[in-house]
Amino acid sequence: MANNDSIRGDLRGAENGLAGRLDALRDGVLLVTGGTGFMGRWLAECVALLNDEHGYGIRLRLLARRARTFRETTPHLAERPDVALIDQDVRGIYELDQDVNWIVHAAASPDSRQHAMDPVGLLHTIGLGTHRVLESATTLPALRKALVVSSGHVNGPQPLDVACLPESRHGTVDCASVRSAYAEAKRYAEALAAAQVVQKRTPVTVARPFAFVGPYQSLARPWAMNNFFRDALAGGPIRIWGEGADVRSYMHAADMAWWLLAILVLGGPGGVYNVGSPEGVSLRELAALIGGLFPGGREVLMHTAPHQAAHQSAFVPDVTRAAEELGLAVTLPLKEALRRTLRWHQDA
Amino acid sequence: MPASNGKLRVAILGSGNIGTDLLIKVQRSPVLDCTLFIGRNLNSRGMAKAASLGVKVSDRSIDAIARDPDCCDLVFDATSALDHAYHWPILRNLGKLAIDMTPSRIGSMCFPAINLDDCLNHRNINLVTCGGQASVPLAHAISSVHPELTYVEVVSSIASRSAGPATRLNIDEYVETTSHALSTFTNAPRTKAILILNPAEPSINMQTTVFALIAKPHMDALTAAVRDTVRAIQAYVPGYELLVPPTWEDGKLVTTVKVRGRGDYLPRYAGNLDIITSAGVAVAEAFARQGRREPGHA
Amino acid sequence: MPDVLISDPTLRDGNHAVRHTLSEKQISTYAAAAEAAGVPILEVGHGNGLGASSLQVGLCSLNDAALLDAARAPLRNTRLGVHVMPGFATIGNELTLAIEHGVQVFRVACHCTEADITQRHVSFLREKGADVYGALMMSHMADAATLVEEGYKMQQYGVNGVILYDSAGAMLPDEVRTKIAALTRGLGVQVGLHAHNNLGMSVANSVAALEAGATILDGTARGFGAGAGNTQLEVLVAVLHKLGHDTGIDLYKLLDLADLAEREIIPAVPTISGDSIASGLAGVFSGFAKHVKRVAAEYGVDSRDVWFELGRRHAVAGQEDQIIEVALQLAAAAGKSNGEQ
Repeated sequence: MANNDSIRGDLRGAENGLAGRLDALRDGVLLVTGGTGFMGRWLAECVALLNDEHGYGIRLRLLARRARTFRETTPHLAERPDVALIDQDVRGIYELDQDVNWIVHAAASPDSRQHAMDPVGLLHTIGLGTHRVLESATTLPALRKALVVSSGHVNGPQPLDVACLPESRHGTVDCASVRSAYAEAKRYAEALAAAQVVQKRTPVTVARPFAFVGPYQSLARPWAMNNFFRDALAGGPIRIWGEGADVRSYMHAADMAWWLLAILVLGGPGGVYNVGSPEGVSLRELAALIGGLFPGGREVLMHTAPHQAAHQSAFVPDVTRAAEELGLAVTLPLKEALRRTLRWHQDA
Repeated sequence: MPASNGKLRVAILGSGNIGTDLLIKVQRSPVLDCTLFIGRNLNSRGMAKAASLGVKVSDRSIDAIARDPDCCDLVFDATSALDHAYHWPILRNLGKLAIDMTPSRIGSMCFPAINLDDCLNHRNINLVTCGGQASVPLAHAISSVHPELTYVEVVSSIASRSAGPATRLNIDEYVETTSHALSTFTNAPRTKAILILNPAEPSINMQTTVFALIAKPHMDALTAAVRDTVRAIQAYVPGYELLVPPTWEDGKLVTTVKVRGRGDYLPRYAGNLDIITSAGVAVAEAFARQGRREPGHA
Repeated sequence: MPDVLISDPTLRDGNHAVRHTLSEKQISTYAAAAEAAGVPILEVGHGNGLGASSLQVGLCSLNDAALLDAARAPLRNTRLGVHVMPGFATIGNELTLAIEHGVQVFRVACHCTEADITQRHVSFLREKGADVYGALMMSHMADAATLVEEGYKMQQYGVNGVILYDSAGAMLPDEVRTKIAALTRGLGVQVGLHAHNNLGMSVANSVAALEAGATILDGTARGFGAGAGNTQLEVLVAVLHKLGHDTGIDLYKLLDLADLAEREIIPAVPTISGDSIASGLAGVFSGFAKHVKRVAAEYGVDSRDVWFELGRRHAVAGQEDQIIEVALQLAAAAGKSNGEQ
């Protein structure tokens, strides 16, 4: 339970006055597709806080392909009376319960291993799934807003002369490359959202998540930060493969959860908002930061090969729009986000 | 309780390649009737195929059976090993017969050419793996001639195009489940299974080789036993063919078969799909005929 | 600071040449000398990697644990590596065993168009903190664009590098250059080449790979390996040093290592026989060499015909059972009775 308490603590710390600004959610029904994934769990944790500590009375429905497994992995959420599980493939949605007021469409794994293995299935799930959800949303009498979770990857590779990607920048994605399957599917999802807003007057807002760090994130995914955490937790040196000059940014999951709910409630129909941290950090700096969290530190080893400098990349959002239009802020700086995440992994 | 047309009522759970190929074979059977074809997504190609054949479909997965238990007598589970572990307790409580196409290792392993009659005493039948269906009956025949054999190994080569993402992710489960079946159905103290994917175009047919270590092989008896087994399998898998008859080579016994599919739902090269769905239908038909002999049994 | 990473699979590829009979003493003797020479990575195992001991590709006289322990014992700075092929080696058996026995470097290998069968193995090894490379075998059988996409899958699964295997010794330097250049352009991880010498090209191909951006090269002492063997390690390192590269290897001690290998573990230094040339031209896995020679003799058919027929069928590594079938067919076509059955 200590772990669940620490998640609640993370959310309290990141609340930043939002519990007083999301009143529209009170006594409403919120449906989250992909509800048992990383985002879904954090949204559920955040809703639980709003209900327990602020009397929101939100009824949450988590829809996922194997929602039943959620009962085993996350009983403290699954067994709550205000949480219901729906075992369904998002592509199989034809109608939704008429009492749904809010939808967060977060289905689609961001696991790049699955994208590489089954790009056809990925395109099908994101394309058809988004289509089904929005089409069903259109017929809901009490719908207040639907949030389509897109991805920062819709921008394509971030130009190296751009420090942060704003929403207004329309990147270039090579639609003929299989590597673009995820980005293209998310671009289709965004286009569908925009079309629904104009043609069907469905209130849809889009969030573009970048990269996150925090509890519930499996270290199994082959991302640089996970490798660093794993190496450091194993007691060994932190190994960097490549130049270590690639720039990333990481927002703590507690901030992410608050931001997503805020964009759902406060974002305008047709609006698009980046979600992430604007605090860019090179992988080399990140490895040093993670190493520095351990008593006595951890050595950082570079496994650099020539010719790799050409592959330098960046992935950092500009979040001015969320700050100016919605009054959102990143409450947990990177170092604190890493410290809390490490503590969670050590307790797990 | 048979359907009004006297056929055994069958539900198929899983609308992927295995489930859809089963559907076509079930609808061709004189003693089986698919009364419900179940998936998770009405848009899938398998669902469209079922609808085009006039078969009732549902996208509610196992709930479709739980909500309407009278829909069927027997359920083919063509989902995944993980899902079958969840489905079986529900099906058992509903009193359904189950034929499990996944490598879950939950039900009784069945190879129609070996133990079909025995399987009819069980409620949950497991078809092991495609390579297992092609090889274990041969290994069993070899072991029955030479119970003192010390080692059995099977190697299956399949066309890359016949191996979807699930097969590729579960290659270890394939190897372990097939090897386990070899241990169970032969006397060999050690067994091994190997799977090879070959991307050649046009796609290769499934090919399976059985090796055995035997001190003093009786080649005539082995050849007769293997040929009998091949004939028995051909009764339910017409594309099953002996390519290399039992041969003594470099201190080991070698025999190779080729499996061409019937081309029902996937092209003919996908013999690996055809052999396991054909075996499943053979078991279901045996249940149907048993039910006719013993009214009220099923 | 070395700028080329050398990996030495003498105790793995060489096992093909002796029908997988390297002894514990031979393994530990060679490993100790490799350690002394500063060889960065030493690969050991059955010729087709861990878990491959079988009637299909040949039984190994030692079990995997014994092989690994014999190699591991004398190593300090040299890291112990293995080759694993999904379909032969499983996570629950061989990969777990290898981690327990101190293996630090893994080559997860598959036919060059089947990278997605490596996902679970790569993921498991990454989670164990091992150093993981993807191996695309028989890479003469796919074009550059296909190899890049397969290598990219491996990169997404989490490998630290992708190595092209010219398993049949079928490529010429231009082809190597084109393919390696495509990989270094298209991937964000290191790229390497594992060459065979069927057409006498292994050192030239290795240099071509290096010029095209490869940073990982494989070679074995005296070229010890199946058929015509591998890139001759001591020649490769000498050439790299002459070209101004740093391998971190002590050349004199490496030359001593090769002499020791010839004395202690290599019954016959590989030469490019007619069969090897046929294998290279046909583009068939060099590991088939012993089997083809034996089976062709047994059935009284021309071994070169067997190679070319296997090539026509696009046989891939691990399909050794096709050799008997092909020989039977050739024998039947020639109207010969094989006297067996």
